[in-house]
Amino acid sequence: MKFIVRPLEVILEEEHTLLQLSSRLMRRKAKIKGRLGPGPKKPHHLSERWQDLTESEIADKRITLEEAAKMVPDGSHLFWGGFGFQRAPIAFAHELVRQKKRDLTIYTCGSEVDLEIMVGTGVATHFDIAFTAIEALGLANNMRRRVAEGKAQVEDYSNLAMAMRFLGGALNVPFMPIRSMMGTDLVRLSRYRGDKKLKVIDCPFTGEKICLVPSAKPDFSVVHVQRVDQTGNAQIDGIVGEDLEGARCGKKLIVLAEELIDEAEVRSRPDQTKIPAMYVSHVVVAPFIAHPMMCHNYYDYDLEHLQNFHKMTKTEEGWQDYLDNFILGVENHYDYLNKVGWDHLMGLRAKKPWGY
Amino acid sequence: MAKYTKIEFLTAVASTHVKDGENVFGGTGLPLLAALLAKETHAPHANLLSEAGFIDARPKNVPLSVADSRYYYGSSASIGLIETLGFILQAGRIDVGFLGAAQIDEYGNLNTTYIGPFDKPKVKLPGSGGGNDIASSAKRLIIIMTHDKRKFVKKLDYLTSPGHLEGPGSRKKWSLVGGGPSVVITDMCQFDFDPKTLKIRLMSVHPGVTVKDVLDNVMFDVIVPERVPTTKEPSQQQIDIMHRLDPHGIYLAKGGE
Repeated sequence: MKFIVRPLEVILEEEHTLLQLSSRLMRRKAKIKGRLGPGPKKPHHLSERWQDLTESEIADKRITLEEAAKMVPDGSHLFWGGFGFQRAPIAFAHELVRQKKRDLTIYTCGSEVDLEIMVGTGVATHFDIAFTAIEALGLANNMRRRVAEGKAQVEDYSNLAMAMRFLGGALNVPFMPIRSMMGTDLVRLSRYRGDKKLKVIDCPFTGEKICLVPSAKPDFSVVHVQRVDQTGNAQIDGIVGEDLEGARCGKKLIVLAEELIDEAEVRSRPDQTKIPAMYVSHVVVAPFIAHPMMCHNYYDYDLEHLQNFHKMTKTEEGWQDYLDNFILGVENHYDYLNKVGWDHLMGLRAKKPWGY
Repeated sequence: MAKYTKIEFLTAVASTHVKDGENVFGGTGLPLLAALLAKETHAPHANLLSEAGFIDARPKNVPLSVADSRYYYGSSASIGLIETLGFILQAGRIDVGFLGAAQIDEYGNLNTTYIGPFDKPKVKLPGSGGGNDIASSAKRLIIIMTHDKRKFVKKLDYLTSPGHLEGPGSRKKWSLVGGGPSVVITDMCQFDFDPKTLKIRLMSVHPGVTVKDVLDNVMFDVIVPERVPTTKEPSQQQIDIMHRLDPHGIYLAKGGE
C-alpha cells in the first residue's frame, strides 16, 4: 500500500463531505426502515457492527453547520454557550449571518466576539445577558453602537442570575431565588421584560429579602464542546462556565464539536460525558469552531486576529470591512478557515500539558 | 528608591490588601496581577479563584479572560460558574473580591453598565458580569480605579454593583451576604469608609499628591481625617516579581490606563 501525504485542509474537507454524505444516507435509511438493515454501501468509517445495535444506539444526529443554522427561524430565542474567551460558537454565528437570520434573542452570561457579530448584523437584537466586552482588549464596539442607535436592547442581569435562570429552565421550575442584584438598578430598571424581569420578595419561610429570577427556556441551546459521538454524548475539557445548565434548558440542543469520537470512547470513560446524548437534538462536527477565540486542549485564541477585530469594529466602516471580508465574503466555515490560513491556524494548536 | 510606573504602583498597593490564606476572586488585569503578587510575597496561601470555574489557580502566564486556558494548568479544580458564584461566593466563602468601575459614588456603589440616561444610553459598558454577585456576597471588596474627576460622581448613571448603598443598614435591608467595599485604590490615593456613616474617607495619598489634589478630583464630599499618611512605595522586589509574572507587559505595559 502506498501512502500519499495530503495537505490537512484537503483531508478535513474530505472528511466534511463524507460526514455530510453519511449523515444524509443514514437518515434516509432510517426513514425507510425504522431500523437499519445492511446497506448496499456502508460509509467505510462507520462501525461494522451497526447491524447489531439497537435503534437508539444507531441514531446519528450529525448534520452540517448550514443545516443546523437553517433550523433557527427568525425571532427565535437561543441559549448561547461558551464563557469569555473559551469555546465560543463563532462558526455558528457566522453561519447565522450568512443565512441572514433576523431578530434573535440571545441568552448567556458573558459572550464577546460572537455577540459582536450577531448584534453588528442585526441577526440578534435582544440580549438577556450579564456581560459583553472583549475583556482585556476593551469595550464591545458593535454592541455599544447598536445600543446607542436604539437597534439593540440589553436586559441586564448578573452572571449568577443568568446561570440560575438556565438552571431553573433545566429543572423545569418557573423561577430560582438568588441573593444578588438587590438594592441596585438591575432590580429597579428593565427593558423588554418589563415587570417580568425579576421580583424581589420577602421569603415566605425566613422573612428575608430574596430575588427571584424567571427560568429561561429558549427555543434552542447552542453549545460548543471539544468532543462528541454521533449520538450526541459530549465531552468538555477545562471549565464549563454555565454550559451544563444552558445545554439542558433549551427546547432543542445543538452541540457543535471539534472532534468526533466513537461511542466506545464515551463508554470507556463515562465520567467525561458532560452532556449525555439524551439531551441532544443535533450534532455538528467541524474544526476551529471558536476561532478567533479558544478551545481548551485544542487551540489558543488568535490574539492578532482578535486585536484586529477589536480595532476594525471601532468604526462602522471598519466593521463592514471585516464582515465583507471574513463572514459574507466566504462561502462557508471551511472557506473562512482557508482565508485565515492553515499555517496560521496550526500555529494556534494547543501544547500539552498547558491546554493552549 | 525603586522606579515604578503608575500601574506598578497600583498593583503593589492592591496586593497589600490580600491576606494570607484568604479566598480571592482575581479576575483579569491589574487585580489578577495584584493577587498573584500577594501570593508571591506575603500571602503564599491565598486561594485565587476565577468565576469561570478555576479554583486555587497558579497561572504560569497571565490570563486575558476569566475563562482563559492559562488559568487551567496548576489549578486544583476546574469546574463552572454555579460552583464559583453560587456554592462558593453566595454561600459566603469568598473573603476578597476586586472590582473596577466607570463610576463610583460616595458610598462605594459602582457603575459598569451605562454612561448616559438608561432610556438612551450614550455608552454601553460591559455590564455586571459577576461584578454585582461579587459586590453582593464577598466579605469585603477592593475597588481599583484610575483617578478621573468624571468617575467620582455624586449620582451614578446606573447602579450596577452595591457598595454601601444608601449608608448604614441598607445592605442589611436587602439581606446582602457580604460586607461591602473596604478600600478604593486609585492612582492618586487610597480611600476607606467611615465606619459610622459608611461614606468614603481619605486613607492615604500617594507620594507627590496632596490632599487638595484629591479633593479637586472628586465630585462629592470626602471625609478627611486629621492626619493623612503617604502611601508606601513599592519595593524593587515587588516590581521584579510583577515583571516576572507579566514578562510581555500585557497588563504592565498599559502604563497609566
